[in-house]
Amino acid sequence: MSNVNNSNNPNPTRAFYNKFFRHAQGAGVKGYSNHYCPGCGHGVAQKYLAESISELGIQDKTITVSPVGCSVFMYYYMDTGNTQAAHGRASVTALGHKFANPGSVVISYQGDGDLASIGLAEIVSTAQLGIPITVIFINNAIYGMTGGQMAPTTLMGQRTSTSPNGRQPIMGAPFKIAELISNLDGPVYVERVALFNAKERTKAKKAIKKGLKLQMENKGFSFIEVLAECPTHLKISALESEKWVQEKMLPMFPLGVKKDLFAEGAEAGAGAGTGATHTNNFNLTAPTFDAKKVFDIVTGGNDETVPRYAKGVFPKHLDPKDVSMKLAGSGGDGAQTAAMLIAQSAINEGHDATHIPSYGPESRGGTSYADIHVAAEEVLSPASPTPQILIAFNGPSLMKFGPTVANGGIIIYDSSVVTNAPSFKQAKVYGVPFAEIAVKLGNAMVKNIVALGALQAASKLYPEETFLTAVKTALKSKPKFIEVNEKAFREGMKAIH
Amino acid sequence: MTANQQKNPKEKAKPFLFSEFCKGCGRCIEACPKNCIVIGQDINTFTGLIPIKISLENCIGCSLCVNACPEPYALAMSTEEMREREEREQSKNKGAGATFSDPSEMFGLDKSPLPKAKKAIDEEMNLPISGPQILKGNYASAIGAILSGCRHFYGYPITPSTEGAELMAKLMPQLDGIFFQAVSEVATVNIMYGTGGAGLPSMTFTSSPGFSLMVEGISYMIGSEIPGVFINIMRGGPGLGNIAPEQSDIKLVCNGLGHGNTHAVVLAPSTPQEMLDLTMKAFELSFKYRNPVIVVADGYLGQMTGKVILPKKLKKPAIPEWAVYGDKEHRANLMCSIYLTEKDLEDHNHYLDRKYDEIKKNEQMADLYKCDDAEVIIVACNTPAQMAKGSVADLRSKGVKAGLFRPMTLWPFPIDKFKTVLPRARHIVVVEANSSGQLEDELRLNLNRSQVTVHPPIHNVRRCGGILPSQQEITEKILSLKLKEV
Ligand code: SF4
Ligand code: SF4
Ligand code: SF4
Repeated sequence: MSNVNNSNNPNPTRAFYNKFFRHAQGAGVKGYSNHYCPGCGHGVAQKYLAESISELGIQDKTITVSPVGCSVFMYYYMDTGNTQAAHGRASVTALGHKFANPGSVVISYQGDGDLASIGLAEIVSTAQLGIPITVIFINNAIYGMTGGQMAPTTLMGQRTSTSPNGRQPIMGAPFKIAELISNLDGPVYVERVALFNAKERTKAKKAIKKGLKLQMENKGFSFIEVLAECPTHLKISALESEKWVQEKMLPMFPLGVKKDLFAEGAEAGAGAGTGATHTNNFNLTAPTFDAKKVFDIVTGGNDETVPRYAKGVFPKHLDPKDVSMKLAGSGGDGAQTAAMLIAQSAINEGHDATHIPSYGPESRGGTSYADIHVAAEEVLSPASPTPQILIAFNGPSLMKFGPTVANGGIIIYDSSVVTNAPSFKQAKVYGVPFAEIAVKLGNAMVKNIVALGALQAASKLYPEETFLTAVKTALKSKPKFIEVNEKAFREGMKAIH
Repeated sequence: MTANQQKNPKEKAKPFLFSEFCKGCGRCIEACPKNCIVIGQDINTFTGLIPIKISLENCIGCSLCVNACPEPYALAMSTEEMREREEREQSKNKGAGATFSDPSEMFGLDKSPLPKAKKAIDEEMNLPISGPQILKGNYASAIGAILSGCRHFYGYPITPSTEGAELMAKLMPQLDGIFFQAVSEVATVNIMYGTGGAGLPSMTFTSSPGFSLMVEGISYMIGSEIPGVFINIMRGGPGLGNIAPEQSDIKLVCNGLGHGNTHAVVLAPSTPQEMLDLTMKAFELSFKYRNPVIVVADGYLGQMTGKVILPKKLKKPAIPEWAVYGDKEHRANLMCSIYLTEKDLEDHNHYLDRKYDEIKKNEQMADLYKCDDAEVIIVACNTPAQMAKGSVADLRSKGVKAGLFRPMTLWPFPIDKFKTVLPRARHIVVVEANSSGQLEDELRLNLNRSQVTVHPPIHNVRRCGGILPSQQEITEKILSLKLKEV
């Protein structure tokens, strides 16, 4: 192609490929013509889109998303980034692009089957979100690509291959999508336009350009419904289709601006649509990859290396290599926190540990229990069906799990709530008034730490400093609670002596 | 044409018809206020269509005809000079084997040539040295994603995967990343399609019923070669089932990723540490092969807290050369899974097959525990593999030479490694948390496909409904085998 100086060219520039190299590999006539049927409204709408992109100077940053339907091959023509999306999903695919690059201009170009039928959930939620993308909705009242079936926008009485006797009330009424979208809070601009005469075409071009401009300026979500002609499936000529749109579609789908927060003279925040409105300006800050910052965020700044008070010695007096425990109580007992602290202590000592919380609907308020393993090398089986140590915060937990405790094991229970504990022959049993001690200390919440103190004293799992360090680390962001927790731990220890 | 027109630089532009590209729809006829355009009579030899005829005598150069035309290159406004040049071109092209002239010159196109993007290299940065963290499996996975450079999380809440999403909801805003709770899993996967198509790492946490909803989108991602990481914390099924752990999506992730010729690497961690490590691996493979990667874990593992050592480095991903990022460099790119002609689609599938073969060759991963002298090979993954590991210790103490073969990639199944343990094996016991033997099916399929027709008997220990096979069950099952026979 020669380098023609186009300065005198009377045509508006367009973001179409110079040659449609993807349309049948650009062979013959197809390299310069679209695949649409003669007179199809898609061709007109896309021309306006291509012109608008050029006129706004956004070609390089534009991404066109075309989903299933007659629009699926839009990537043959648009000299922009192109993504072909699954049926109905163009709007959310567009969202994915916009999230990835907030500086890009993303266009979701969808037909009526795609947007108003299979993609309803996607378009409604995307519109409500209000992130600045531009949706062009081509409404031609029929399924084109699949061969003339009824669309959600097919008119009452209109014959299609799946409404052979005309659309009946049982098939539902046509969807007025522009009105629906304009009633959401998210969009800043919604307009319905048409292509059936020169005047409407001028307005259509203006609307498409405005939709893109609002996105460019990061103003918000815009939606342009275009009433378009599908002569093929209306089985009439292109010119008759123009008339058909004007005479038949207009009464059902009135043209005009449905919502515009940025209309000339409009006050900011006021819309032509109903309901509350807002603009969703997009945060353009680039994500952070600063190593120190990321590290602090993901670990909560936990880069301390804690001294090993047990000096790497495993509590072999409890088990040669793997101590299994269970903490059981009800929702607010703090069993999970205590379990976590035990696991943390073991890991701080250089051993391995796992903690599995009780799991399932019963965790919603009912019983709450935790299986813990502390292993010299590696926890092999993280469940504790026959624990060596049981801490029971209430009667039912003691009754349920007491009998499962291994021979020679340890059972510690809250004697302030369990008054007549049964005896368990196979284990050493300690009743410690967790709750009572905690209340005396002025904070009922610390009963799990009382239990932890009792555990330490009864089992000598780790030196007390190990636990206290884990407690202090956990309370790093709430230092005023350290003192009461420390006291709780020591009182728990004392209760065993 | 109108010979008596002046060659005037200020002359009003008039339409010019490239008749090859006119489909004769007539929309321009109606548009013309001066009735300059009529239906044509002659069939165009290139197209077999009948283009319109324009006579410019009354034309006022309003360009309304051009605006009405659905064709990109049928009608252009032109100066007389342009018209004459074009007519000269066209007359040269008359006769047999003729070609038509390139209309784009007359259409004021942006002549900027299609850009070609450069290959980009991810940046790696050192993390501070730290002691071991204590993390839930789901959290470890989320942190792995962040350290892999993922700043785009999309998801729909579903137990038992939700903690991962909740942690992302907390962390992403602090990292200036995106956390977005989508309207559904269907939307989730298609947002990932967009972000992955833009060349950035994205991920989701989901659980079985949610994963079912995503497979259509995964098929599209595979077809369009779009990366993305899916963490599927498997729960009990079918249907609503329950929220307790199962491994009943193995058939789905290994052999049922939506319609078409689809496969993806499937990673199966068994500890919180591996939740982090294999999530990072997932991102690496996802971009290496431009394909989604699935991490499957059971609900137990997602909930389990354990010791996790962070990697030494974190990654800042670059925009790959193939991405549709929305900038000049990447403008020529396309994400697309449609291949209209049969041959093209066949070629595309063969291309995908070669990619799958490459993955099978390079990425099989397994952990062998005491397999060197093992006569009983337990095959298990995820938490049941931990139970099985415990059982190996039990069995060894009773004099049974047991070992654990733990596939870490379920697809591709690590059959090459498995073959190395076969010569000594006298029993194979597949331990899994589903009722139908889905892991066993993978093993059998892969034995068969690699022409292993003679192998020891394959036994099983299966629990389901949310119950995992216990260490004791495994040990008992193996002790009950008549080990001396065979
Ligand atoms: S079927 Fe209808 S919508 Fe599709 S290309 Fe043909 S005219 Fe256009
Ligand atoms: S430019 Fe105007 S007057 Fe001339 S042919 Fe076209 S529509 Fe008619
Ligand atoms: S509108 Fe375009 S395609 Fe249709 S008849 Fe006129 S020039 Fe030909």
